[in-house]
Amino acid sequence: MIRKLLIANRGEIAVRIIRACREMGIETVAVYSEADKDSLHAQLADEAICIGPAPSSESYLNMERIMSATLVSGADAIHPGFGFLSENARFAEFCEQCGVTFVGPDSRVIQNLGNKQVARNTMVAAGVPVIPGTDKPVMDVETGLQEAQRIGYPVIVKAALGGGGKGMRTAYQPEEFALAFQTAQKEAQMAFGDGTMYIEHYVEHPRHIEFQILADSQGNVIHLGERDCSIQRNHQKMVEESPSIAVSEELRRKMGEAAVKAAKAAHYVNAGTIEFLLEKNEKFYFMEMNTRIQVEHPVTEWVTGIDLVKEQIKIASGMPLSLTQEDVVIRGHAIECRINAENPAKNFRPCPGTIRELHFPGGQGIRVDTDIYAGYTIPPYYDSMVAKLIVHGDTREDAIAKMQSALGEVIIEGIDTNVDFQFEIISDPVYQSGDFDIEFLSGFSSAE
Amino acid sequence: MEMKFQHMFKKTVTKPVKSGDSDRPEVPDGLLKKCNACKAAVFVEEVRNNYYICPHCCNYFRVHARRRVEMIADQNSFQEWDSDVVSDNPLQFRGYEEKVKVLQEKTKLNEAVLTGKAAINGIPVVLGICDGRFLMASMGEAVGEKITRAVERATEERLPVILYACSGGARMQEGIVSLMQMAKTSAALKRHSDAGLLYISVLTDPTTGGVTASFAMLGDIILAEPNALIGFAGPRVIEQTIGQKLPKGFQRSEFLLEHGFIDGIVEREQQREVLGKILKMHQKKTVNTLPHEKCRELLDQAFQPEKPLQEMSAWEHVQLARDKERPTGSDYIQYLFTDFVEMHGDRYYGDDRAVIGGIAFFQGQPVTVIVQEKGHGTKENIAHNFGMVSPEGYRKSLRLMKQAEKFGRPVICFVDTPGAFCGLEAEERGQGEAIARNLYELSALKVPILSVVIGEGGSGGALALAVADEVWMMEHSIYSILSPEGFASILWKDSKKAKEAAKVMKLTAADLKSLGIVEQVIREEEFLTKENLVETAEKLELGIQAFLSEYQSMSGEALAQHKYERFRKM
Repeated sequence: MIRKLLIANRGEIAVRIIRACREMGIETVAVYSEADKDSLHAQLADEAICIGPAPSSESYLNMERIMSATLVSGADAIHPGFGFLSENARFAEFCEQCGVTFVGPDSRVIQNLGNKQVARNTMVAAGVPVIPGTDKPVMDVETGLQEAQRIGYPVIVKAALGGGGKGMRTAYQPEEFALAFQTAQKEAQMAFGDGTMYIEHYVEHPRHIEFQILADSQGNVIHLGERDCSIQRNHQKMVEESPSIAVSEELRRKMGEAAVKAAKAAHYVNAGTIEFLLEKNEKFYFMEMNTRIQVEHPVTEWVTGIDLVKEQIKIASGMPLSLTQEDVVIRGHAIECRINAENPAKNFRPCPGTIRELHFPGGQGIRVDTDIYAGYTIPPYYDSMVAKLIVHGDTREDAIAKMQSALGEVIIEGIDTNVDFQFEIISDPVYQSGDFDIEFLSGFSSAE
Repeated sequence: MEMKFQHMFKKTVTKPVKSGDSDRPEVPDGLLKKCNACKAAVFVEEVRNNYYICPHCCNYFRVHARRRVEMIADQNSFQEWDSDVVSDNPLQFRGYEEKVKVLQEKTKLNEAVLTGKAAINGIPVVLGICDGRFLMASMGEAVGEKITRAVERATEERLPVILYACSGGARMQEGIVSLMQMAKTSAALKRHSDAGLLYISVLTDPTTGGVTASFAMLGDIILAEPNALIGFAGPRVIEQTIGQKLPKGFQRSEFLLEHGFIDGIVEREQQREVLGKILKMHQKKTVNTLPHEKCRELLDQAFQPEKPLQEMSAWEHVQLARDKERPTGSDYIQYLFTDFVEMHGDRYYGDDRAVIGGIAFFQGQPVTVIVQEKGHGTKENIAHNFGMVSPEGYRKSLRLMKQAEKFGRPVICFVDTPGAFCGLEAEERGQGEAIARNLYELSALKVPILSVVIGEGGSGGALALAVADEVWMMEHSIYSILSPEGFASILWKDSKKAKEAAKVMKLTAADLKSLGIVEQVIREEEFLTKENLVETAEKLELGIQAFLSEYQSMSGEALAQHKYERFRKM
């Protein structure tokens, strides 16, 4: 069993991991940058080591310094949290080379899943559905038409060198294809000087549904149900919930099985997340696998009653899973809102600063994961998320009512936050109806 | 308000930590190393995959000779030469032989330089690479012998030579015998050069002492890695001698570039590409020549004005020639040539930015290009000293033209200067001598020279780049004994009469054509700018093609004679 764990991260996730360790009797070592000397994670850990200046590249992303801190402190394991080095295969390999337990999968697994093409091939081989598309570049309309027929409409034509939406067109039926292809190709030729195109099935108005899995080193893999993370702004998740209103018992079984299959195919060990796009017709496609703990893991913890960070540590220590798929029961409904230090009225501009007054809600069914306290100064160098507010109710309606009440109670003075914006989302009739997709926030106008 | 964290109940465990734990994590040997510059721990593998450059501070680690070969030569192309040459301890220096033996085992090299034949982009070349692990690659008998043999064999096989210097200088243990290696290697390189062959010297950190004072500084082209220490006397010795602290950057590559001793600084990532390009520029090529009539036809085609030249006053010509929007020398380089490799420095004192020179391809053929550069905008104007050339600039031009002569490359000059730089420093360093030397040497240069006046052709400052086989002028350029202002001032004691002066001086292209001073006038269809240069450049390209076709059919002696006669009749 891990005896002493170094947390290679900061903020609320570092605090979250330290708490799990305290409960498990594991000693903790925090690392912090010069900008983070007053941070809660550095205060809360048994030991704290400063690893460099404020910029992440010289502190939280600097592998050599983090390893030095690990060896000096005598820690035998590193938990990478999320972000920073959590999905860096080289760092995981470095831990392996030094005999330090990395709380996460094997470096080769991270490497393979981090490579889009390798990951896709692995999933195809394992029979996990991926978005149908061309394997080879398409240069002319005739070949494109045949491919589109095989892939299934609607399709999207994409430039091989594409980016920024240039050289991209959709076609809903064969009659539209030629024009869409030619326009996209011409645009690509103009913008990138290359007319190499790919064609993919166009997943229209999908939901972002991800499955939490746990896999031990003995080869046991289970899933802990899904999270619906469709409420996103510029690919940044804002509200997450579990279970998803769009996933029936039957679909959960099917998607869960696919998720387990995916994890097994990748030889995955530890906690991981398989992201799917879900179409209205209940077709779903593998997008990618995240090889770390997720920000939104508390909603899964609440509906399953499983402490994911503790499970991660046990798995990393070589212990087998203590439960089987049958033991996993989804109870009630959990929602998480991310509280960020940002100003929604000013295009969500980050807003670091000193917190003068602070009050968080409490009571039955309410959880706050945060690292801020009254008097704390949020440094400007890192992510703007300062807290996660998570609620649990018997039904989705109960959870929504609880979240509305809880958000109404939050007081964070001294900085701008998105609390009011979150309240509007939660109060929105479309959100409440559950009939939304990943485009929800792009059409959402704040009442202000 | 402050949080009282000490009141927090936070300690997890009080279990004593076992010391001397055998399976305690540790960094395995060879995984990390320390960067001497930034002191950070870095992954050995990452450094190795990144040209031995520190990923944190970009400091250059020293590179073993064999790794260096891998970095620059085509895969598996290297054949080692003279791997059996060893020093026989000429001074019977005690402990020396044992020391060498240990190093031979450690480095798997017989001596501090690795020599042999390789290919870069398919072009065969003789390589010599110093390895600093071997007594700081100091040059004893064996190093001198290996380099000499490699150069001799290159001369015999008519191959270019690239030597990577990295050395502390002479080898103390071999005393006076070591000193003689300086002369021996230099002599071998002289023969190689006299055979018309190319030698590129690449200086790496550190290049000092007897190596700097011999083969390292003798390249036709001398390149250096960034921030390499290069000097004759070591900085510590100088400091002790003069009792002063040396300034930051003293004797570094950048310092040498500024002082005119190296052609350029090339980062490791680019070295293979740059070396390959330079080698390609020095490959023997058959040149297409055309009969005289055909060339004249081409020239007419290029320069026959569709409309007669524009009627405007001499003063208007002067103003157009000086216009800030007018394309400068480097714009012509960009439009007319490809793969331009700039060469810096006069090898005596400095690098004059008022002259830009180097080698480029013109329609696939290597040529030496030299321009007087004014720059665009105030900042660039100042950097290029408004195109006013210092003695260093003329000496750099002459150096590059002599180099062109050695390799049989035509020279194309673009003239655009208000005049040679008039100042204290210019006189101290012999402005007059520098210009005179150019006229003297250029008049007998054995390769074709074409000079095109593109803006101002100011006096002797312009002539020093215009002793050519032919001189052409852009329609709105001028070429004169001195500026109209100066002319008015000397003759009429009033520089405000410049307008009148311009009229009587006969300084326009048309005037000079009828005086027989220039051969061609290139019509400017519209007000010439950097943006619309492309059309005029096309005509010019056709013209240069015709010029080269005609003059390259002539022998070196005939070319020298042609230049002589051209000026003899003026």
